[in-house]
Amino acid sequence: MIPSEFEYCRAGSVEEALDLLAQKGPDAKILAGGHSLLPAMKLRLNSPGAVIDISGIGELSYIKEEGSHLVIGACTTHGDIAKSTLLSEKIPMIVEAAAEIGDVQVRNKGTIGGSLAHADPAADWPASLLAGEAEIVLASSSGERTVAAVDFFQGLFTTDLGENELITEIRLPIPDAYTKSTYVKFEQPASRFAIVGCAASITRSNGSCDKVRVAFTGVSSTPFRDQAVEQALEGQAPSDDNIEAAAEKAAMSVEVMGDHFASQEYRKHLAKVYARRALQAVLS
Amino acid sequence: MDTKKIKLPHGIPGHNLGQIEREVPADEPPAWPVNDELKHVGKRVKRTDAEAKVTGAAKFTSDIQLPGMLYGRMLRSDYPHAKIRSIDMSAAEKHPGVYAVHIFKNVVGMAQPADDDAAGEYPDIKFAGQPIAGVAALTTEIAEEALDLIKVDYEYLPFVVDLEEAQKPEAPLVFTTNVEQDDAGGGGGGDTGLKTVGNVRGPSTSSFYGGPRGDLEKGFEEADTILEQTYRTQVQTHCSLETHGVVVDWKPDNVTIYASTQNTKNVRDEFAEVFDLPKSQVRVIQEYMGGGFGAKHSLGNFGVMAGYLAKKSGRPIKLMLDRREEHISSGNRPNSIHYLKIGARKDGKLTAIQQRSYGTAGVGLGAGVGRIAQIMYESPNFSTEQYDVFTHAGPGAAWRAPGNVQGCYGLEQAMDELAEKLNLDPIALRDVTDTSEIRKVERHRGAETFKWSRRKLPASDPGLIKKGLGMAQSHWPRIVHIDSTAEVRAFRDGAVEIRSAVQDIGTGTKTVLSQVVAEELGLKPEDITVRIGDTLFPDGPPSGGSIVTGSITPPARNAAYKLKLQLFDQVASKLETDASKLAVDDGQIMSTEDPSKKIAFKEALKEMRTGQISATASRSDDYGGFMVGNAIAYGGLGSVQFAEVSVDTETGFVKVEKIVAVHSCGRPINITQIENQINGGVIQGLGYALYEDRVMDNETGHQMNSNFDQYKMPLSLEIPDIEILIVEDYSGRSSTDAYGIGEPANIATAAAVANAVYNAIGTRIFEIPITPEKVLRALNKV
Ligand SMILES: Cc1cc2nc3c(=O)[nH]c(=O)nc-3n(C[C@H](O)[C@H](O)[C@H](O)COP(=O)(O)OP(=O)(O)OC[C@H]3O[C@@H](n4cnc5c(N)ncnc54)[C@H](O)[C@@H]3O)c2cc1C
Repeated sequence: MIPSEFEYCRAGSVEEALDLLAQKGPDAKILAGGHSLLPAMKLRLNSPGAVIDISGIGELSYIKEEGSHLVIGACTTHGDIAKSTLLSEKIPMIVEAAAEIGDVQVRNKGTIGGSLAHADPAADWPASLLAGEAEIVLASSSGERTVAAVDFFQGLFTTDLGENELITEIRLPIPDAYTKSTYVKFEQPASRFAIVGCAASITRSNGSCDKVRVAFTGVSSTPFRDQAVEQALEGQAPSDDNIEAAAEKAAMSVEVMGDHFASQEYRKHLAKVYARRALQAVLS
Repeated sequence: MDTKKIKLPHGIPGHNLGQIEREVPADEPPAWPVNDELKHVGKRVKRTDAEAKVTGAAKFTSDIQLPGMLYGRMLRSDYPHAKIRSIDMSAAEKHPGVYAVHIFKNVVGMAQPADDDAAGEYPDIKFAGQPIAGVAALTTEIAEEALDLIKVDYEYLPFVVDLEEAQKPEAPLVFTTNVEQDDAGGGGGGDTGLKTVGNVRGPSTSSFYGGPRGDLEKGFEEADTILEQTYRTQVQTHCSLETHGVVVDWKPDNVTIYASTQNTKNVRDEFAEVFDLPKSQVRVIQEYMGGGFGAKHSLGNFGVMAGYLAKKSGRPIKLMLDRREEHISSGNRPNSIHYLKIGARKDGKLTAIQQRSYGTAGVGLGAGVGRIAQIMYESPNFSTEQYDVFTHAGPGAAWRAPGNVQGCYGLEQAMDELAEKLNLDPIALRDVTDTSEIRKVERHRGAETFKWSRRKLPASDPGLIKKGLGMAQSHWPRIVHIDSTAEVRAFRDGAVEIRSAVQDIGTGTKTVLSQVVAEELGLKPEDITVRIGDTLFPDGPPSGGSIVTGSITPPARNAAYKLKLQLFDQVASKLETDASKLAVDDGQIMSTEDPSKKIAFKEALKEMRTGQISATASRSDDYGGFMVGNAIAYGGLGSVQFAEVSVDTETGFVKVEKIVAVHSCGRPINITQIENQINGGVIQGLGYALYEDRVMDNETGHQMNSNFDQYKMPLSLEIPDIEILIVEDYSGRSSTDAYGIGEPANIATAAAVANAVYNAIGTRIFEIPITPEKVLRALNKV
């Protein structure tokens, strides 16, 4: 339970962090809230030579409206997001997802950027970011690029993040007033991570579902948008029957995970139940 | 021996309270009346150490810091089964900051071959986590670095960690000869002299209640209904907040051991034996302790290692286990496959109970579960076969009501099912088959509080989330440890003190002793200084078996009584009366004939001829004798628990909404502390029913969830409303007539929850923990 030796560097600004990243090379690790990295280091699953602490970079902690987007700094904690009235008005599923993460201590230290970079298959964030069609801003000493959330998550603990890159911002298009969203979760009782987390965002006009976005985390090794569910409902006026029918299509196209707490079959079943619960909550 | 006859309260207030006359030794104190007429006993007295605990002033073993102290750590095997060819400690020994190293010659706390001839230079490895060697260093970090430098050459052997796999003829053997274990877990089944075939040892067919009864076959012939069922329980680890550990301070002519222990006396005795020291040169101190639950009775491998490291380095050694070590090596509640066959007549009278169980305490003994089925219900015909199955896993240990918790889970579900078959209410069935008067009162008082009458037919709740109600009851013996002694001292400055080596493991023993002494001396509990948990004082009972209150409060009272008589002798002439005419009340000593003749207790102490007076008393035999040997008292500690659950039939998620727990423990001494114990027992019972489960990896032989991130325990979010009823139950068996509560509190919960789940969904879950997935499988939804 004791990490191996490492060099500790503290970055005061994004620029400094990027310089340090370039300087220390692939042996360095960014440290944000530390709630995923430090346990991994203590178990010696991860033994970086240097740790670059970005938790003190004030310019990476914010939630604000920027034109057609809501933008969240990478170092914003889950707790700050859970308390944001701006987000709760515009994209409630984001606030709901934040509030579901871990416990108060985890939410007060853990950051959205850290969670995305870590890409735990049972993390809460991916579902609502996928359903919200978020973009992730990545910076390196050679510049900045923006990746859509669907392209960012690539597999178990694997993302599009480059070795010398830093996540700086998460950008969410502000939905129109006819959009409602929610995030629901069945949690692992001990760790409280998601066994199944489902986010749904639906835009309606004249009683019909114009746009349906449904995404899952926890179900498969990569979080995913479930187009089968989305398409089953898009263009339809919602009813108990077609909600049920759409939910039945959940998790059909992915390989579902299984472990000693929840088998593959059981997770698949839960995905359907939680798809229905999310859709019902949004459409009621 | 001179005796006298005294009349003692007998029965249950509000039900059948009366008096009983018993012949007792002449020097026993007079009978106390029922609690209503006492000042401090039976009241909600605040814990003597509440403030020290909440402010952090209390020093636990892990807080002990001594000058020059080193930190010990142990190397454990990563392999579940191996022979050790060689161990090279040289690099570890040379590592800067390392002061001593030691290799185990034998390992304690597990079953041992009956003949030791086969033993090689190093003990064979029989479970992943078995300690091999240890180091002492300036810091824990340095010690861990040094562990990495130890080179062990293993010869790997095949292993088995699964209870059912281990019973197959082709399974790798854990032991190749017959084995015994003196300190087996206490669940039953570990009797000496039993044979081992393959990995299966037994059967054990008896307990301290005796052997089989009657004629099973005839019993089943007489039955109108026969129920046959198999229940499965999991391995549960102890999860004490404070891990196992010691600080050993080895001085030239005496060794002091600070130990997180339930048994100071036993740690002293074991240490003295291992290191061949006189017991008088070994002192064990346990001032505060963060939980034990049965696994902390022994010196342990860690204690032996700390002793060697202290001896070799000449410095104090602190050796505390970490959470992973705690899960994998320091004890657990064995699992069980528990078969029950019960015959009953139409009216509910039982005609026969047949019980058989297989369980694994890993490399240890004591996985039996049959005791509760033997004793709780009237059945003229009974037989039990309990088998210990060896696996390459950490040894079991006593765990809060060992054996009875597992056994109750099966027995009480069987009774629930039987009631349904016989078309009887579960409470009505028990009224017919259970002869215990106290449990009858508990059932009916509990049913009223819980509103049992609202219980509906199974699965009759409409909607996706279904409510269910269930109940279960339990038995635990009244165990007395007669080698329990207390000394009471009074000082000329007015101080009064009680001393005993008995330890307070968080249960509130200190407070209870202050109440008893205060009651006897007419003082207040806060006037009494309680010094316990130190083997410099007279030996006390171990804190296990729920025996402490029943064993140490009578001698505490008797010692106070003797001291009071000494004091009466000294002040009688001053008060111009006879010592036999004196009494105490409210801090005063006064004449019973002329209340104007009085003196304050503190003033009386100033009159003493010597600076201190002292009186010592040991546990007398129970008035009227014991039921078995000089340890098992008459009567039992009954309990009945009721559970209300809701089950989400789409996800299988079970939420416990309410528990009503009705308990008795003879004369209750401290109501608040009894409630604390019951709350804790119920919460652990919920963990057992719904969450806790040691998951082993069959591929590597490792525990997959040896941390709290994966091993689920109930937290505040999962704890329901717990309502507690305490029923006073006088039997006039000792000068306090008090018994314990720790273990009974934990026995019935899982069965009550399981019965409630059945009532909610109409399908029974035969295996705990009742996880959401198991519920859905039972409902055929996955
Ligand atoms: C007890 C507990 C319970 C938890 N429960 C949940 C839960 O229910 N749901 C859930 O989703 N999560 C849960 N978590 C994880 C938690 O949300 C973490 O905070 C999060 O996964 C990581 O964020 P962090 O800021 O702590 O990152 P760190 O641990 O500091 O870093 C994690 C990884 O991300 C990298 N990194 C961090 N920031 C950046 C950045 N800006 N750019 C590039 N790389 C970066 C680091 O190098 C490291 O590899 C739990 C954690 C704990 C300890």
